Parts: sequence; C-alpha cells; structure tokens
Amino acid sequence: MIKADVTIIGGGPAGLAAAIEADKNGAKVLLIEREARLGGILKQCIHDGFGLVRFGERLTGPEYAERFMQEFNERNIEAKTLTFVTQIDRTGEGYTLTLVSRDGMHKVLTKTIILATGCRERTAKQVFIHGTRPAGVFTAGTAQNFVNLCGVMPTQKCVILGSGDIGLIMARRLTLEGAKVLGVYELQPTPSGLTRNIHQCLHDYNIPLYLSHTVTRVFGHDRLTAVEVAQVDENKKPIDSTRQIIECDSLILSVGLIPENELAETLDIKIDPNTKGPVCDQNLQTMLKGVYSCGNALHVNDLVDFVSESGETAGRNAAAWTPKKRLFASLFPGDGVAYVVPQKMDLTDENQKAIVYFRSKKVFTKSSLQVIVNGVSVYEKKYNHLRPPEMERIEIDFAGFDLKAGDTVTLKIKEGEA
Amino acid sequence: MLKRAKKSDKIILTVIIFWCVRKMNIKKLQKRLDEKFPGIKVREEDGCRFVTGELDDWDKIVKACSMCVSKDKNVHVVNDIVFTGKADAPMRVPAQTDNTLDGKRPDVLVIGGGISGATILRELSRWNVDALLVEKEADLAMHASGRNDGEIHPGVDLAKGSLKQHYVLLGNQMFPALSDALDVPFDRCGQYACFTQNALKGFVTLYALKRKYIDGCKETYIISGKKLRKKEPNLNKEFKFALYNPTAGCICPYGLTIACAENAVQNGAEVSLNTAVLGMTVENGKITSVQTNKGTLYPHIVINAAGVFSEEIAKMAKDRFYSIHPRRGTNSILDKKAGKLLGSIASVKQLELHTHTKGGGLLHTAHGNILAGPDAVETNEKENFATTPTSINTVFTKQKVTAPDLTERDIITYFTGVRAPDFEEDFVIEKGRKTKNLIHCAAIQSPGLTTAPAVARDVARMAIDILQAEKLVLRNEKFTPVRKAPPRLAEMPVSQRNRMIKENPDYGEIVCRCEEISKGEIIDTLNAPICVPTVDGIKKRVRPGMGRCQGGFCSPLVAQIIAEHQGIPLEEVTKSGDKAFLLFGKTKGGEEL
Repeated sequence: MIKADVTIIGGGPAGLAAAIEADKNGAKVLLIEREARLGGILKQCIHDGFGLVRFGERLTGPEYAERFMQEFNERNIEAKTLTFVTQIDRTGEGYTLTLVSRDGMHKVLTKTIILATGCRERTAKQVFIHGTRPAGVFTAGTAQNFVNLCGVMPTQKCVILGSGDIGLIMARRLTLEGAKVLGVYELQPTPSGLTRNIHQCLHDYNIPLYLSHTVTRVFGHDRLTAVEVAQVDENKKPIDSTRQIIECDSLILSVGLIPENELAETLDIKIDPNTKGPVCDQNLQTMLKGVYSCGNALHVNDLVDFVSESGETAGRNAAAWTPKKRLFASLFPGDGVAYVVPQKMDLTDENQKAIVYFRSKKVFTKSSLQVIVNGVSVYEKKYNHLRPPEMERIEIDFAGFDLKAGDTVTLKIKEGEA
Repeated sequence: MLKRAKKSDKIILTVIIFWCVRKMNIKKLQKRLDEKFPGIKVREEDGCRFVTGELDDWDKIVKACSMCVSKDKNVHVVNDIVFTGKADAPMRVPAQTDNTLDGKRPDVLVIGGGISGATILRELSRWNVDALLVEKEADLAMHASGRNDGEIHPGVDLAKGSLKQHYVLLGNQMFPALSDALDVPFDRCGQYACFTQNALKGFVTLYALKRKYIDGCKETYIISGKKLRKKEPNLNKEFKFALYNPTAGCICPYGLTIACAENAVQNGAEVSLNTAVLGMTVENGKITSVQTNKGTLYPHIVINAAGVFSEEIAKMAKDRFYSIHPRRGTNSILDKKAGKLLGSIASVKQLELHTHTKGGGLLHTAHGNILAGPDAVETNEKENFATTPTSINTVFTKQKVTAPDLTERDIITYFTGVRAPDFEEDFVIEKGRKTKNLIHCAAIQSPGLTTAPAVARDVARMAIDILQAEKLVLRNEKFTPVRKAPPRLAEMPVSQRNRMIKENPDYGEIVCRCEEISKGEIIDTLNAPICVPTVDGIKKRVRPGMGRCQGGFCSPLVAQIIAEHQGIPLEEVTKSGDKAFLLFGKTKGGEEL
C-alpha cells in the first residue's frame, strides 16, 4: 500500500503544475500518468504559442511541458507512468485508488485526489455525420498524434470540419508536411478557434474557411473518397441546394472537446452541464470532499497558461486540505454567459478571493460583465470584445459582499456600454 | 384450452396476416399483376415462379415478386425483373490475388464467413473431413452478422410451419451451452413487447396462448404495466401491459461468429479470408471446380452460406431457385452511461401489418451498452452500408415511446447492415435441386443468429451424409467444443489480475482507456487461431475503439502494436483490410528518425 497526501491523476500541464504546487506546500505527492511519458497532449503540440501569458515567451508544447517537468524532477516528486487508475473507493476520511501497471496491481491510500485527466475530442458520430465508415476519418488530435509523434501522414488531401484550435493548427501542420487542405468548414457563423490561429494557420497559407457550413456525408467503402458539404441555415440545417461533393482522402474533425470525467462519475461527483466538468468551489475542490479538479478536466481551456494556473490552485489547496463542513454560495451564468468556474464559493474558507473563468455565449463588442449578488450589482468590468472561443479570467474578492450560505451570484453580460 | 386457441389462430390469421399466401392459380395471379404492374409476367417452371419484365422502381419489384409468393413452400419466387434504376455496384472483391489455395481439394467448401458459415464450419470440424471456409472480406462477420443487434430471439412472433420457427426454438435453447463452450458472454435478459392500449389485452392474450400451446414457444407471459415497471422502471409509464419472453437474450453477434470459426480452426478446419468466389465449373449436375482470387479449388461439396450473395452463388452453381431482396437496417449504440436505461430487451408494439422484421427495439447489449434499432428499408444495394439521418430518426421516434428518456445525445456510433431475405421470407436450407454436391444455407435473415447453431447441425449433417455415401467419414476424436477468449483483465478480481500481469507485464499496460483494454489482450488476439491484424479486427475482438472516444486516443497505439507484432512498418497497418489503408507513408522528416 502506497500512502500519499495528494494523489494527482494525469501528468499533463494541469497535473504537473498541481504536483509541484502541492509539493511546495509540504504535501507527500504522487502523480499517476497513463502514458509512458509526462506532458500529456503537449507532447504532440509541436507548434509555438504556449506560455505567452505565463512566461512572456512563445514556447512549443514540449518546451512548455519541459519547464514544469524539470521542476517536477528537481523536487523528486514521485510519478508512476504507464499506470492506469481502475477504481477509486472511499476509505475513512480519504480514498483508496486501485492502479494497474506493468508491475501489477497496486493500491494507494490518499487523503486527497486531484483529477487532472484532461479532455477528449468529440467524434464524427457525435456530430451526426452519415454515410459510410471508411478509413480516413480522424479527429484532429489523432491526426496530430500520427504526424507529430509517429512521423506518418494520415492524409494527402483533406477537408477539415470545425474551426477549433487543433483543427486550425493541423490545417497548417498538414500543409507544411505537403498535404493539401481543401478547406475548413465551420457550422457556426463565427470561428471556434482563437483569432490568432485563424490568421497564422489559415490566412497565411491560403486555406479557405467556410463559415455556416458543415459536412453532411462521407463516401468511400475502404478509404474515404469524398465528403458532401453544405451551407446551413440559421437553424443549422443543411440547405439542399448548396450540397456539394468534394473529393478528398480524409475528413479531419475539430468539433469540440469534452472534459474527461469518467473517474469523477464513478464517484458520483456533481458535474456542471455547462462545462461538463465537476462543480467546484474557489479552491477547485469538487462537491466531494478532498477531491479536486483542474485543467481541461474542469472546463476546456484555450490557453495552457490557465490550465497550469488552475492546477496550481488545486495543488495548493489539496495540500492544505482538512476535513470540515463547507457552506456555499452559488455562481450562475446569467444573460450572455455560457459558463462560470468556479460554480461555488465556500464561505467557511479564509480565502474569499476567487479566480473566475467564464465564456460568453456569443460575440459581444463594447459590453460589460456584471456580477450580481442577490440582485445587486457588486462588480463590473468593461470589454471591447467578448468571444465564445476566448475564455476570460477575472479575480474577484468576495469578502466584502457579505455572502451567506445559499446566496446566488450571477454573472451577466450587459451589451452596448463601454 | 386447445380448442380456444385454435379459434384464436383463425382470428389472428384473418386479422394480421392478410397479405399472407393465398391460393391463387397463376392465371389469376397474372391478372392481378397486370392490374398493378403492367408488363410484369409470372410463369411457373421447375418448381419456381419466375417473374419477368422491367421496372425502374426497386420497391415495385419487391412488391411484384412478393405478390407472386406461392402457398406451396417448395415453390420459390425467382426475380428476373430487369431493374432499370440505378444499378447496384458490382460485388466488392479483395485487392490481392495469389495462388495460395490453387489445386486444393477440400471435402467441404463453405462459402461465407458470417454466423451461418462459421457455425457450419464448427459442426463440420466434429468430423474427420477437410473443411475450408472462404470469406471475401478481411475478417469474419463483416456483413449481416457483424451488423445486427445480437438478440437471441424467443420465437414468439413466428407461427408453426416455417423453417425459421422450427430452428428458432431449437437454436434458442442451445445458447447457454454454446456461450460457455466458446467463452462468449450471453445474457438471457428477457424481452418485453409493450402495449399502450388496454383494449388489445384480450387479443394479445389469445396470441400468447396460441404461441404457447400450439406453436411451442413455451415461455411467454402477459404481465401488467405495474409489474413491467417494477422490472424496467425507465419504460413508458403509459404501457398498460406487456408480453414477457424470458427466453430472449443478447450475445455479441460478431464475437460469436469469430469464436465459432476459431474453434473450428482449433479442431482442424481452415479459414481463408480475403478469398472471393468468382466462378464455378458445373458438369453433369456437379460442381467440379470453384474459381477464387487465390486459385482454383476442387471441392467435393460446396455449402452456400453467402448471405446477400447466396443467389449469385446459386446461379454460379447452376442451381438458382430463389431470389434475395436485400433489406437495410440501421442500429445505434449508446454510451455505457446510458446503459441503465434498461437491462433487457423492450419495444413498443403497434399493430404493423406490412412488416417482416421484429420491428426493432431497445437492447441492453452483452457489453453493457444500449442498442436502438433496427429499421427496415428495401434496397437493391447489397453492400451499401451507408447510414442516413432518416434511419436514426425513424428508430428514435419509435423507441422514445418505449423509453421516454432515450436521447440521441447518448449515441456513440451507428451502423447499417443489409439482411438477405427471399420473397417467401423464410430460410432456404436444402440440398441443391439440380446440382448434387451443393447445399444451400440461404435467405438467412432475422432470427438467423438465434437459429444458426441449430441450422448448422442440420447442414453439416447433410454434408456428412453426402460424403458418407462416397467414403467412410469418422468422427474427429480430438474435437474439443471449448475455445478460450483472450482473458478480460478488467473483469478479473484484483489478485488474479495481479498474477496475470506478473506473468505477462503487457496485461498491465492499458491501451484503451474507455474499455480498459491492455496491450497484452491485443497481442493475444493477434496470436489467436485466426489473426486479423487490422485496427477493426482488433476492435471487434477485444473492443479498443468501441468506447466513447471511438478510438481517438487508442487507434495510433493499436496500429503500433499491430505493426510491431506483424513486423511491418506502421504505415502498412490498415483499418479493415488492404484497400482501407490508414496512412500515406512517412512525414517529410520521418525517415531519419
């Protein structure tokens, strides 16, 4: 039986940051990683642009991960790689994890758990693409794995569905490797990825972006031979007269990411339907005591810098965890807001400062975010632009607002005031 | 009781089966055809009803031929109507050609690697005969057997007198033992046919009594809506009563097919994948040779288990006396999270007069997912497995009545299969009528999975009888009915799993996170009696890629394991066979690494 104060599941950017921060705060830390190497998805993100917020530098994914791994190693934090958590059971005040690895089955007794399991990609069937089931339908992440980690080409001529960031990055990457990217098709009237990626990955390489378009059908029995694309109306329904068949060998999908919370679900941890991640308080503790969540498992981020930040928040607080009863006020997304993290404020905690992440539901120009406590506006911040693909971060000190258990805090966007 | 049931039989016959066979001579039939389908002719010849003419609508062809079905069971409709609409694509054949089978003289050649062919091969392997199964696809169970819902039917919907009904009752009983022997999980979970109208209760009760006492489907019961909800709380609250069939169950249809074939191979039979029958030489009422893309074979006996292509095989063998009209169906698989929706099989029943399917339903599969489907659409395309939004909508609209919480949002995948019925809507299981060394196991449609083990026993017996007339055929003394599946580590107690990993550390390396599959289990399937080194082959056997990520994370890993095991470069690994290649060589800088 291995014993730990803080056990972190997932060795990507969130897990690494959480481990370092928990270690700094004096906890006995164990990090568990499913893959052979630490770094998570950053391993295959060989493009640059990571760490601008945190380090003021444009790092590649592996470089960004390396900075954390270096510190992680210097601190001699224990990591188990190629290790998979099969089960979590509650044991007294803590938890027992069952691990499987090449050296057998092991049990870990831990006071707290940090879920840093990242996210997964939505699949072709989840966006209801019909037709045949040939080889040549890949999620952007799978294509990226083949190209950047395996050194093999999944396509020579492809169509990309979805303008999520990985899709945009892969449009450029595949072009650089000599493949022809015929176009990026986006169901929404606005791009899903960061503006900088639209410029640097599509415009700079003359790759067309078709907004309000989708792929409706796949052709080919063995290998994909063509896809059918169509423009969509305001209800996102394909317009028949615009259907068009495009010959290609692959369809690459970048149609959204979903936090991985299979372990959280086995523990019956409450999940926020808006984020698809666990409901957390300002310390990123879930509604199950001693279990924390961070990074893309908590909500899908667009910048790794914030993934690391949430990892640190979770790590620091998990290290200081003591059993106690929490009292909550709740945060809700109001008009124009898609989601809010955290969803709860623990009023028994000394720390009433919260880093609040949110996304807008649609594009707003010249607008302001208001924080309403029990019907009264207590905080306002002006924005020139708010876009759904761009996550926003604000720091709010709730100490002065006299919150009581059961109170509601609503974040809403007020249009046209700047 | 018996008398009452007979009376009910009459009522049922008149009320439901009005389209059923009716006595009509050819002249009258022709007159009716002239009214409905001018230009379409029917003639009776050689114990067949040949339907000829020209039509541009496939549905009309199906209707015209269905009209011509004879009351005499031995007389089949042969569809010679020229279809002037969009022709079906030619049969897909493997890319590779070689001579590896050239000159072989098997005692029995089984054509088709679906559940029929695989169970027949296994039965044949009980004897000391050279049995060879050829399958044109890169794996077994690639058509109907890999694309159906896996229900083991109770037989409650069939009346006495058909081959389907005869075999469904026999087959159903064989599954527990078969499942044990072949290590394929079978769940006798029961089935509920649910009704919203109390007014139908009397009628359904009579129906059940008839099935029970006359047709021999011994276990079928009427249960109240209250009892139904106690057993399946998530079904529609409006259900007033249900017909409960405890003998119904679920099994993995392709898992069973693969297991049967593997067991046959263990017992000395041979399986040749990627092998298409392209022609036959028939002399003096006997098949003398069979041409394939892997050379010419000289079998003693040929068994036609070619599914949608069984009519083509019959034609090659100069023994075509039935016609297949393909019927498409689409199933959806839901995330395991939705698995608690129901633990059995259930469907709302409406009075549907014009249908030859069981109408689809919701199933809790042997793997713990919910399956919704299938629908039934006539088609001339035998190998068009494309899905359409319409099929999914049809199924979900209907099944949301069964379970209101059912939602499309839980769908993780969907697939289409093509059934192979004849116009009589019954099986064709008999020796060749003109060609002596041929046995047909054709027109197998639902409940073909359930019936397969029972049908296979009879078909194998027919083959052995023919052979025994020529030579002495002895039982295979070394036959073992037992086949072990690769171990399922995730299902083992911790101590056993730990022991297994200590012996083979690959069992401790998880490759598929959704289904918790280890590298060791994947390697086991590559070392199995029938090795199918494709990403889909592995997926069918041990399920990496069957979960909610649908292979997003694990497919590169699975491809790498295949490449390593087979000693081939990664870019040569395919999804599902030669032409379904995954990759286009290395990246620009790939070679130096």
